[in-house]
Amino acid sequence: MDLIKVKDAGFTYDGRRMIFEDMNFSVQDGEILCIVGPNGCGKSTLIDCMLGLKKLKKGSISVSGKGLDNLKPREFAEHIAYVPQGHKTTFGYRVLDVVTMGRTYAARTFSSPGEEEKEIARQALKQVGLEGFEDREYTKLSGGELQLVIIARAVAQQSRVMIMDEPTAHLDFTHELTVLEVIARLVKESGRSIVMATHFLNQAYYLENWGVPTRVALFNGKNFTHIGKPSEVLTEKNLEETFNIVTEIVGDGSGERKYILPLYNKK
Amino acid sequence: MRRSLKERNNLIKTAVLIAAPMVFFIGSICIGRYGVAPDKVIFSFVQAITGKDMGVADMDLSVVLNVRFPRTIQAVLVGASLAVSGACFQSLFRNPLVSSGMLGVSSGAGFGAALSIIIFNNMFMTGIFSFFFGVLAVVLAYLVGRVSGGSPTITLVLGGTIIQSIFSALLSLLKYIADPYSQLPAITFWLMGSLGSSTIRELVMASVPMLAGIVGMLLMRWRLNVLSMGDREAKTLGLNVGLNKAAVIAFATMATAGAVCVSGIIGWVGLVVPHMCRMLIGSDNKWLVPASISIGACFMIFVDTLCRTVTGAEIPLGIVTAIVGGPFFIYLLKKTKGSSW
Repeated sequence: MDLIKVKDAGFTYDGRRMIFEDMNFSVQDGEILCIVGPNGCGKSTLIDCMLGLKKLKKGSISVSGKGLDNLKPREFAEHIAYVPQGHKTTFGYRVLDVVTMGRTYAARTFSSPGEEEKEIARQALKQVGLEGFEDREYTKLSGGELQLVIIARAVAQQSRVMIMDEPTAHLDFTHELTVLEVIARLVKESGRSIVMATHFLNQAYYLENWGVPTRVALFNGKNFTHIGKPSEVLTEKNLEETFNIVTEIVGDGSGERKYILPLYNKK
Repeated sequence: MRRSLKERNNLIKTAVLIAAPMVFFIGSICIGRYGVAPDKVIFSFVQAITGKDMGVADMDLSVVLNVRFPRTIQAVLVGASLAVSGACFQSLFRNPLVSSGMLGVSSGAGFGAALSIIIFNNMFMTGIFSFFFGVLAVVLAYLVGRVSGGSPTITLVLGGTIIQSIFSALLSLLKYIADPYSQLPAITFWLMGSLGSSTIRELVMASVPMLAGIVGMLLMRWRLNVLSMGDREAKTLGLNVGLNKAAVIAFATMATAGAVCVSGIIGWVGLVVPHMCRMLIGSDNKWLVPASISIGACFMIFVDTLCRTVTGAEIPLGIVTAIVGGPFFIYLLKKTKGSSW
């Protein structure tokens, strides 16, 4: 069954210019859907709609067969976890407390999460490779570590789908790779589905190269122009049409690993 | 092993937070123009509760039970209310610089009090009016904040600022038309804050919203952590953000308005005590909320004791909170180097 199904979706801010319309796609069990497209094409708006933070003007989104509008916040959190683009910290909470917040929907109304929920949070920290970080103040972590903490919080939610908005923005090379490895592991080992918006096109190839079921949706204009496997969608021709750049898709010779080599902007 | 150590630490923290206000409470009752020994204070309470004669002199009994006990209880409730509301608003607005007056409760209450002083010149009505207008100001700020649909933090803050400035302008207007020999001084003194001027009946009435607010905030304390992640994240983590936000605002407003209507406007406590607690115990609201209640009560007892003992005439509370709180805050800032932000 489709975990998320988007049907005839349309959205507009001002009632005149549509950000996207007639959009149809679904997210399957155990796959990664990368949403790519130029700046300002509406990726973040689409993600906000999928998170129920913005309301569609047309069409519908259903989560595991239930309409998004009918889900209570609690039920929503049970199905979908969210990793924001750059979390802003204010107060110096302990890492374990932040990750335990992923269990909010499971806690009874006025009580704090108990030892059982904390254990789930500890396991989540382990899964993202942050063992031993429990008692650190999360305001004092590096940008990469902070992002991993926020991903761990989403992991602790134990929901089938994770929606990530540019999960590797502002990260260094090491942490970008760490995040991708975590994402690949989450899909391959625990069978979750991930929807992620990204500007790094090679990430889709990276995931495909490592044998993770990956699809790419190329967002341009008011809809996805292409959706499918990275090697089918991220072609030299499509990239030229969407981003107006000239590229070369190169491989390592084995014919299995591929990546995009950007050459120059088309004049 | 490590976990049991942590449990023991938590037990010690809890014990200190409960014991500290009790020590301050009894200490404050001992001190004054007429000193009472600590054992006499305790015996007085035992005698009052059990009705058994503990051999306390009538004079001591009267000073402890009729004069100092109501006032000190008021200090406990007012200090706890202001501090915990400040802590909750800081988390809710994700801003360490806001205090319990953020949404205009103090300005509204000040206006209400001045209005009642001019119309009725009756302390009881002043309390009622200040409570009513304090709550009204917050309701207005909340409605202004909802203009754009939902209640995003930024428009709420903006709404609070607007309502605050409207009510302080109205207050200035009232001061301007008030009788300068009788009403104006009464307004000014009310605004400076004092714990000495309310009767037992007023205190009992005001303690209802204060206690209800404090208990409400205690129950919400873990959710405050989630709310402080911001609206988007709190919602996707499974909280009904609008409802929980409204609940926190309602509890904080009840507590603050209850405090203000018996004690006048006491600034500083709702800003500085939560920060003292952050430095001492960390930002986790699970601990910060109870700590603010406890330290807020201690701080207010301490300051009020100074107010009534340092000079023969009483010094207004609002002045002393800032004079005592400021340097102590600087000391803590230096000592902890502002960690936990």
